[in-house]
Amino acid sequence: MRLDDFSEVWCVDFEFGVSPGERPRPICLVAYELHSQKRLRLWQDELQRLEGPPYGLDGRCLFVAYYASAELGCHLSLGWPLPAAVLDLYAEFRNLTNGRNLLCGTSLLGALAFYGLPSVEAREKDDMRMLALRGGPWTKSEQAALLEYCETDVQAVVTLLQRMAPTLDLPRALWRGQYMGAAARIEATGIPIDREGLFLLREHWTEIQDDLITTIDADFGVYEAGSFRHHHFERWLCDHKIPWPCLASGKLALDEETFRDMARQYPMLEPLRQLRASLAQLRLSDLSVGKDGRNRCLLSAYRAKTGRNQPSTSQFIFGPAVWLRSLIQPRPGCGLAYVDWSQQEFGIAAYLSGDPAMIEAYESGDPYLAFAVQAGAAPPDATKTSHGTVREHFKACALAVLYGMGAEALAVRIGKPTPYGRELLRLHRRTYPKFWRWSDAAVQFALNTGRIHTVFGWTLHVGPKPNTRSLRNFPMQANGAEMLRVACCLATERGIAVCAPIHDALLIEAPLESLDETVAATQQAMAEASAAVLGGPRLRSEARLVRYPDRYMDERGEAMWNTVMHILHKITEGRSICI
Amino acid sequence: MKNMTTQFPGEESNGLAEPSSHSGNDPFDLSRLRLSQDFEATTRTSKLLTTVPVRRPDPQTFFRVHPNDAYQMETAVLEHHEDRETYLVDSSLWPQIRSEIIPKVLYTAITRQDTLFIWPVRLEASDGRLDTWNRSAHLAAREAKKGWVRMTSNRERGAYDVLLPEAHYPDPEWPRMTFEEILRIAFRDHFIRDLDHPVIKRLQGRH
Repeated sequence: MRLDDFSEVWCVDFEFGVSPGERPRPICLVAYELHSQKRLRLWQDELQRLEGPPYGLDGRCLFVAYYASAELGCHLSLGWPLPAAVLDLYAEFRNLTNGRNLLCGTSLLGALAFYGLPSVEAREKDDMRMLALRGGPWTKSEQAALLEYCETDVQAVVTLLQRMAPTLDLPRALWRGQYMGAAARIEATGIPIDREGLFLLREHWTEIQDDLITTIDADFGVYEAGSFRHHHFERWLCDHKIPWPCLASGKLALDEETFRDMARQYPMLEPLRQLRASLAQLRLSDLSVGKDGRNRCLLSAYRAKTGRNQPSTSQFIFGPAVWLRSLIQPRPGCGLAYVDWSQQEFGIAAYLSGDPAMIEAYESGDPYLAFAVQAGAAPPDATKTSHGTVREHFKACALAVLYGMGAEALAVRIGKPTPYGRELLRLHRRTYPKFWRWSDAAVQFALNTGRIHTVFGWTLHVGPKPNTRSLRNFPMQANGAEMLRVACCLATERGIAVCAPIHDALLIEAPLESLDETVAATQQAMAEASAAVLGGPRLRSEARLVRYPDRYMDERGEAMWNTVMHILHKITEGRSICI
Repeated sequence: MKNMTTQFPGEESNGLAEPSSHSGNDPFDLSRLRLSQDFEATTRTSKLLTTVPVRRPDPQTFFRVHPNDAYQMETAVLEHHEDRETYLVDSSLWPQIRSEIIPKVLYTAITRQDTLFIWPVRLEASDGRLDTWNRSAHLAAREAKKGWVRMTSNRERGAYDVLLPEAHYPDPEWPRMTFEEILRIAFRDHFIRDLDHPVIKRLQGRH
């Protein structure tokens, strides 16, 4: 497949304005057709008069853009259909350079600089962006300037396309482009948020923080004048006989990851961990919620090395402290469902490696307990109840392997001395030898060839100082990302309102009367997506349903949410949200 | 992937345009885009076995004995106590150094860590006598042909105890080598083919 196979190749760019949490408002469009050299320049009033886009959308026409979900988001805002064939040069540039150090980044200007191609000055680009974001009305000269600027971007896309075309893997590039359509739909849909609740939290957050410290610290006594005191925490740890990892300097390691690991071992620490996370990271004003009460932000598709989305952790409701997710609430008459693959990474590892014991463990329904039984650590009739702790240890081991974790870190995770971690990893190697041969070969392949790829061609290039843990992890994570992209495409193209993709899950919304049916359709799409990635086998999925007026609740944040709501209730004397 | 057929709740229009029919090939047929994840195919290596120790099983390690009798041999070895080395002796020399050699069975064994080794166990003397240590070692070897075992000394009984694992361990993966190839590696530097071998000379006080 080549560019010449398309009867029309349209390079397209919109200028648009966007407020936090809102959908894009197209200002102007410039499009250029490569074969006929036809050029289109349309201002917003002309765009709104059109019933559809001024270029073809069927599979004979190729739509080319740089970061296409923005252009496709403008299509949706204008009520236009999406093109059937999308080539996103951003996704291709990311794929071409993923893992490499780029001096000028991955913006359009960065891509042009990478190839030594001419471009407009970054300052001029910023000025024009500000002009677009300022909003109308624009003077005639401002309109001309914006159209002119939009045209320079289109010209840049044309130049970049001509430079990149010989190296493009077009069939897979079109698949990546198709996902940008799904991303645009998901960004347009957004996540329903309890706006009143968010308003109250924002209004009273300073008082809530003070009260939170008083309430939660009553069990710890580690805060003084609103600040976390290391020496108080040390004393608390000694009193409770909890060993804590230290830095080379001898001071306590107090980073979020250490706190998370320790809270897993000592659940009594979880409220303190959440308090610290909430006080340190939570900027409620950054959460992007539109006037219609929906959380919308750029999904940042293909931003992570694994190809996963990487939305802003402060703008996206699934980014900040986990308790805040309870602000997610379906609209009246609707329900939400959080549908996730069961043990997705274990399943990917099992089927892609072809390890028969691992496949058997996945298909047992409880791969972690099955692993314990296969390794001889639990009898064949063991259950989650009878061998809960053993299962937890083998679960930690199975996950640790998929993340490339070593014996020491695994031992910390399970709260045991290092030999226990070493023994678990040894058991994993013995129980799943074919998986290990495959995993070792994946690392070797990456080191030998300088790159490693997913089933649909998302590629990580190996730099001069390769991280073998990342390379080992890549097939599970990056193929998991492919699976999520396929599921997003299938679900959105079948009319399912996908509010957000979250790592290995989809959050979907539907009217209450069709919620069950929509969940089944989502699970069907996810099963098909797993079959596409794994070459046949289907992964199971689970769904958690939330019906209005209930709100979404992540069990890890439930206690903190209730505490916050209790405080808010006191502050507002009953004006707070119904929980 | 199919074209969208269902209207999105709360959204005016987000349909995909009709897919192309000009090529007859669906560009989004993911099964045609799928790349192999068989990294082993391009990085396939095999471990070159360079050393095969000749020793007794470690008392703390589970091991198996090759169930195929073609992987064992009754022969004679010379045990040099000073160097703690075992030498295989060419059968043509046996009559001449009869007092130095010991009739043994060489079993092919493997540990749970995939370490292949040759395990020599003394055979009955010509009068049929065999001590309880070696008799129990043969019994352990017989058990190890069927499953994983561990062998520990029991001085009180004057014999080896055979311990079985509580868990079910999968069968070992035996190297794809003939017994002769294994022996060549095990005794590469420990094969006595003539009486001028330094060990024989030393034992006979010839230097």
